[in-house]
Formats: sequence, structure tokens, C-alpha cells
Amino acid sequence: MLDSLARLGRVGIGVLERLGRGHLLLLAIFVGLPDLLPRLGLLLRQIYSVGVLSVLIISVSGLFVGMVLGLQGYYILSQFGAEQTLGVMVAASLVRELGPVVAALLFAGRAGSALTAEIGLMKATEQLSGLEMMAVDPVRRVLTPRFFAGFISMPLLAALFSALGVLGGYFVGGGLLGVDDGAFWAQMQAKIDLHEDVYNGVIKSFVFGLVCTWIALFQGYDCVPTSEGVSRATTRTVVHSSLAVLGLDFILTALMFGE
Amino acid sequence: MTESVDTQEPLVRIRGLRFSRGNRVIFDGVDIDIPRGKVTAIMGPSGTGKTTLLKLIGGQLRPSAGTIHVDGQDIHRLGNRALYQLRMRMGMLFQSGALLTDINVFDNVAYPLREHTDLSPSMIRKLVLLKLEAVGLRGARDLMPSELSGGMARRVALARAMVLDPMMIMYDEPFTGQDPISMGILVELIRALNDASRLSSIIVSHDVQETAAIADLVYVISDGKVIESGPPEAMMNSDTEWTRQFMQGLADGPVPFHYPAAALEQDLLEASC
Repeated sequence: MLDSLARLGRVGIGVLERLGRGHLLLLAIFVGLPDLLPRLGLLLRQIYSVGVLSVLIISVSGLFVGMVLGLQGYYILSQFGAEQTLGVMVAASLVRELGPVVAALLFAGRAGSALTAEIGLMKATEQLSGLEMMAVDPVRRVLTPRFFAGFISMPLLAALFSALGVLGGYFVGGGLLGVDDGAFWAQMQAKIDLHEDVYNGVIKSFVFGLVCTWIALFQGYDCVPTSEGVSRATTRTVVHSSLAVLGLDFILTALMFGE
Repeated sequence: MTESVDTQEPLVRIRGLRFSRGNRVIFDGVDIDIPRGKVTAIMGPSGTGKTTLLKLIGGQLRPSAGTIHVDGQDIHRLGNRALYQLRMRMGMLFQSGALLTDINVFDNVAYPLREHTDLSPSMIRKLVLLKLEAVGLRGARDLMPSELSGGMARRVALARAMVLDPMMIMYDEPFTGQDPISMGILVELIRALNDASRLSSIIVSHDVQETAAIADLVYVISDGKVIESGPPEAMMNSDTEWTRQFMQGLADGPVPFHYPAAALEQDLLEASC
């Protein structure tokens, strides 16, 4: 009994320690921001690696998710004779929820895991220690540019996901299933609210970008510097990021749209 | 670069150093003096904490007790800014080379100059080429780290460690895994650079012959303590049985060949039960 309690206590202390280290790392990353401004080249390189290289998977996924939404939405709405509102349904689902959430899950899988593996391998091959011994702070030079690249890229990727999703929905609804083009776009224009729908979606994608990139960088920086340690950290990045995105989505939705 | 406080003082003075990892004691009251302008070797079997010692000297780890003074400054009492200032005068050659893998050889060597100086690109180019020439790799400046052999990577890392003209360079197992030619090159380079650039060098190694050939002073550590120290010739013929076993590479002695275990007969009988 006492042993079990002691084990539980150790696990709790371990979790709190990791949380503390994670928050201190986040603070150090933000403190490094002024140092990044004169080195925008570093940021641009990371935006390319984290954001631009994720465009393909985000675009293809957005298109297909939109097409499926168009198809499913049409079958349900047509039962009530409301198929002309398909545009609203597709756009609201994408802009409010699916755009930020699915883009963040894909972002965690593609860019987040790559960030963890990269930082973890830099740690395992002593590159981070090497920077320290060259009197260069690895947090400022390595982590800060990657963090802000993720923070900036994520909302843009979510916007791309939603835009291509709407096009996919239009292609299926308007092109294949005979929903009137004018009704599709006009209903969407009339019912989708810039503040209520679009801005809230953008806020969500910024939050998800911050959390996913933070988790990815922390897992890489805090990993055991062996091949097994890096592999475990990469898995943890995807699992923790996905859970965080889904949990935060519920909280943010409740805050934004709750009565 | 800043002038040393007192040229008679040892460059690194370690007193009463204690360091543990979990329950395992790595150093238990270690005293070491690293003299200026000399090549000092820290030797001992694998797992005795030689690399940890370098990280303690570089301020990357904190001891649980004791002090480490580098050029008169207690490295673990320095603030971040002062620590980084001091590190600019300390080069370190990591076992793996620790080159940044996303930039080429030239940019790796130029990295500290670009970070810490306002030198013009043409001046940086000249300095980098001179350092690469010193390690014989001027022609490899456009190669990526993945295209280098282990020995070449260490020589590039050595050029990078020297590029800010530090007061000291720490070498972490520089000879491990090297073919005889690379090993010979590294041995000569370390001695020549130490003398030509008036450096102080600390070599952490368990390659006895190579290290003893260039060291002025040898410390042998084991079980968290300094076993013996002195010039390499004296250490080779030491009266201490342990030191003689290590320096001459004898299979058995005070450090037993067998890991502690029950008697063989007992183990075999248990297995047949």
C-alpha cells in the first residue's frame, strides 16, 4: 500500500517536473525573440521547413475532407429539402472546427514529429552541447526560430485547409450533385460571420500552432539522447499534440460558442 | 581576448569536486590542476566520468560540492553572460565532432566568428581558410559533414574550436575509433597546435600510448578519485599497481578481469538444478 502511494507520488512529481521544465523552456523561447528579429533568415528557413513543406499534405487532405463533407452534407440536407444550404454547412464545419483541428493534427504528425526528431538528434549528436561550448545559446539559435515558424505557419496551413475544403465541397455539391452554384456561394456569404466563425477559427489555429510546436520542441530538447529516446520522444509528440488539440478544441469551442 | 589573471596560477584549478548521478557517485573529492601552456591528459577506464569532468569544467554541469576555477574565475558562480564570455575562450572537441549537419565545412568553422565578431565576410573567409589549412582540410571546405570521414570530422571540429583563438582546448576522446593514419594526424596536430598557438590542452582519453606520447602531465582517475598524477614516463613505471595495470594495459590486476559474481561452480550447479 505504502509502496503504491510512493510510486504514485514519484509519478506525480515526475509529471510536475516535466511540466515545470516545459514552461521554463517556453519562457526561454520567448525571451529569445528579440534576438531573432535581426536574424529573420533563420525564421524564413524554418517557415519553409515547417510550413511550406507541409503544404502538400494539408492541401490534399483539405480537398478530400471538403469533398466528403459535400457528399455527406448533401445526403442529409436533401432529406429536409435543404440541399441549397450545403455551402453554409461545408464552410461552417471547416472554418469553425475541421480546418484548425485536422490541420493541427496533420501538422503535429508531419512537422511536429520532424521537429522532435531533429532536435533530439541534435542533442544525441552533441550539436546542442557544441553550441553551448561555442558560447551560443541553443534555445535562442535553434528553438526560438522553429517555435515562431510553427506559430506563424499553423494558421496559414489551417486557412489553406479550409479554403481547399470549401472548393472540394463545391466540386462535389455544385459539380456532381447538382446544387445550384449561386445558392452554394450566396448562402455561404450570407450565413458565415467573419467574427463568429472565421476569427474564432483563426484564434484556434494560433493556439494549436503554439501548443503543437511547443510540445514538439520540448520533447526533442528533453529526450533521452539515444536512438530509442528520440524514437519515444517522437511518438510522444504526436500523441500529446493530438490529445492537446482535441482537448483544447473542446475548451475553446465552449468558450467561444457557449451561451 | 582577455589576458589571464596570473600566469603562474594553473589555468584550471579543481578542488574537492564531488558529482553524482542518482545514487552513483562519479567524483568523490577530486583535486586537479591543469597548468598553462601544457598538454594535460586525464586518463582512466571507460565509465569513470572523464567526459563528465570536461562538462563540469565547461560549466555545462554543476558539481554537488567543490569548486572549479578556470583562469581564476569560479565557473559555477558566473552569470550567464560571464559564462558565455569565458566559453568564448574555451574550445571543446567533442567525441562525435558535433558539427552542425545542415551547413558545410566552411560555414561550420565560420559559425563562431559570425556569432561573436563583426568581422567582414572577406576577413572571415581568410581566417576560416587558414584554420582549415592548419588541419589540412582547406580543400574540403565545400563538403557537408555527412560526406566526411570520422577523422576528417574531428579535424574540422578542431579548426572550429580554434577559430576564436581560445586559451584552452578540451579534447573528449579524440582518438577513439580512428584508423592509424587519422590517429597519427590527430596526435601530431594536437601537440603542434598546442605549441604553435600557445594553448593549454586537456585530453580526456583511454588510449594510453597515443595520449602519453604527447602529454606533459597525466592524471589517472578511477572510482571517483585521482589515483596518481605525474609525467607520462613516471606513470608508465609507477609503483602503484593499479596505475601500472592501466598504463600497460594488463588484463588482470587490481582491476579484476571478471565482473563481480558468485563462484563459477555454484552458478553452473544452479543452472543444472
